[in-house]
Amino acid sequence: MILGDARSGKLADNITGFGRALRRAGLPMDASRISLAIESAAWVGLDRKDDLQAALASVFVSREQDLEVFAQMFSAYFRNPELTQQLLSQMLPKAPGEAPAAPRKARVQEALAARKPSGPAKRPAEDEIQLDAAMTASETQRLQQADFQTLSASEYLLVDRLARRIHLPLPRIESRRTRSGTRGHRIDWAQTLHHAVRTGGEVLSLAQRERRTQPLPLLILVDVSGSMERYARLLLAFLHQATRHTPRRVYAFGTHLTDLNAAFAHADTDHMLQLANAQITDFAGGTQLGTALETLHRQHARDLVGRRTVVVLISDGLDTGDATQLSQELLWLKRHSRHLLWLNPLLRFDGYAPLATGANLLHRHADGMLAIHNLNKLEELANAMAKLLKI
Amino acid sequence: MSVAFDSIDALAQALTGAGYHGERRLITAVFLALKLQRPLLLEGEPGVGKTELAKALAQVLGRPLIRLQCYDGMEQREALYEWNHAAQLLHMRAAEHQASTHEMEREVYQERYLVKRPLLQALQTPAPGAVLLIDEVDRADEPFEAFLLEYLGEYQVSIPELGTLSAMAAPMTILTSNRTRDLNDAVKRRCLYQWMDYPDRERELAIVRTQVPQASARLSEEVTEFVARLRSQPFVNAFQRAPGVAESVEWAKALVALDTLTLDPEVVQDTVGLLFKQREDVAALTPLLDDLLKPDSP
Repeated sequence: MILGDARSGKLADNITGFGRALRRAGLPMDASRISLAIESAAWVGLDRKDDLQAALASVFVSREQDLEVFAQMFSAYFRNPELTQQLLSQMLPKAPGEAPAAPRKARVQEALAARKPSGPAKRPAEDEIQLDAAMTASETQRLQQADFQTLSASEYLLVDRLARRIHLPLPRIESRRTRSGTRGHRIDWAQTLHHAVRTGGEVLSLAQRERRTQPLPLLILVDVSGSMERYARLLLAFLHQATRHTPRRVYAFGTHLTDLNAAFAHADTDHMLQLANAQITDFAGGTQLGTALETLHRQHARDLVGRRTVVVLISDGLDTGDATQLSQELLWLKRHSRHLLWLNPLLRFDGYAPLATGANLLHRHADGMLAIHNLNKLEELANAMAKLLKI
Repeated sequence: MSVAFDSIDALAQALTGAGYHGERRLITAVFLALKLQRPLLLEGEPGVGKTELAKALAQVLGRPLIRLQCYDGMEQREALYEWNHAAQLLHMRAAEHQASTHEMEREVYQERYLVKRPLLQALQTPAPGAVLLIDEVDRADEPFEAFLLEYLGEYQVSIPELGTLSAMAAPMTILTSNRTRDLNDAVKRRCLYQWMDYPDRERELAIVRTQVPQASARLSEEVTEFVARLRSQPFVNAFQRAPGVAESVEWAKALVALDTLTLDPEVVQDTVGLLFKQREDVAALTPLLDDLLKPDSP
């Protein structure tokens, strides 16, 4: 076959169009991939459709989960490009009839509105958290959309202040990487020779390679069931700010597991809350920790890196699920993490003993547990978290 | 001896000859990687034949296989090059009174004091170049990936004391990943990508026959059938990790060693350790055995 064939003819146009269609379907795409695809098509030729498909796939697809979309798009596009348009319009979110104006963030609004003469700075009122009268986790799977608002200015200040002031002692370990230093365990020859130049080639001191430290990855599981309803929003905001410099994976759970990592990837806390809002569908319902952990086990097991991950579970342990399953999954979690820490924010009287089945299991399996009595400020929760991590 | 393949069929045939039975889409990707001189990233469950592909490819291409096994915290020193400081020191001591500083510097930083690690070796393999296998790249950390970027993009490295060394012939690079974590998009962009799945029944049968020729035709078929059932609905849900091709080959070898003629529940129980490496999975197998061994379940 001749290289020029595919570069100039209709095929090049088609592949370009196909690449663009894939981009609209959400695959990462750029001009260099498209030109590489055209080149590949030229090498493979057009004799066999499956070869062409394989060639384009190897260039256009770089994640397993995109393979399906690619296959569908390929068969649609190279039979009938019109069909692809229909397919695409099905895949894309419907354009809302009347797009609401981009919601102004609450903290911007509050900041703009409150231009009163400044008095003495008031303590943020949102600090106080009212406790629910009934501390129960319902049996039923009450599907409810979380109603997270964006942070008001006072809340924003509070979260920001706490994240700054309360230093979470995120655990670090020595990494496999080294840097030049004085206390190492191996001689840094390059550096030693470098120093020796100054003393006319005479080696007077030995430089060492010492190990760098790196933060341990965190896996945070936040309970958003009924009994935790009041805290979830500010807690997520706080975690988002306080752990931003450490590798972290975040999930929320009630009756099932919600992956919040995409939301937490955004730097802006308001944006994170909006996304979390849209994703959490079991807000203020029951707690089925066992089921949630099983999902974690089946789908996200690779978040637990080589037994280094520190797992922080924030829950009251009022579990309504199956105890055997919970026990099994907790054992698995414990086996695959460095520490399993349990923060229990809802203890309301001092004589509490973890008697409920879920709480009992958690108590038995957790490497560290901290309970907070009479929680009424986010600050206490943050302090407790710092204390718990200090093991 | 070097061989160039000018069609996918020729390449597929050669690989089959070397004992590697690959799907056509995989062979297509390999063919393209050779023609476009791009690295090929293979992702898939452990034991689907990612590393084997590199070995077979080196064999059919008549090129040396250079392997870099990745691990957490791997540094340039272990992957690329390192100066042999001890030899340099000796040289300096020996030449202390005869050479000027300038001469000494030139003498000490010569290629013969360079300890070449796999990535540099691959660059300096004369034409037709090497097959470079960067194995389990997901085990290395992100800084190492960033370092790979330059290497994979340009096939050259700069050594401050020597200058830039370019590839004599671009190595055929194969990266493998067990997907214990997601790789950086920038690395993926530079590579052709191939997701490797478990082979279908016929292909696996061919693999078992090639790798374990001593096994009777009947036994090979039973082994393949059994493993294929394990990996399909409804059985697969019971296990945390289904056995890969490597496991079925090992299992077939073990059965041959035990003089097995046909599978029965007892012999499966005795050898289950070759298929499953987790206690939970072994326990989950026992109640399913009769169903799995039924001659023709729907």
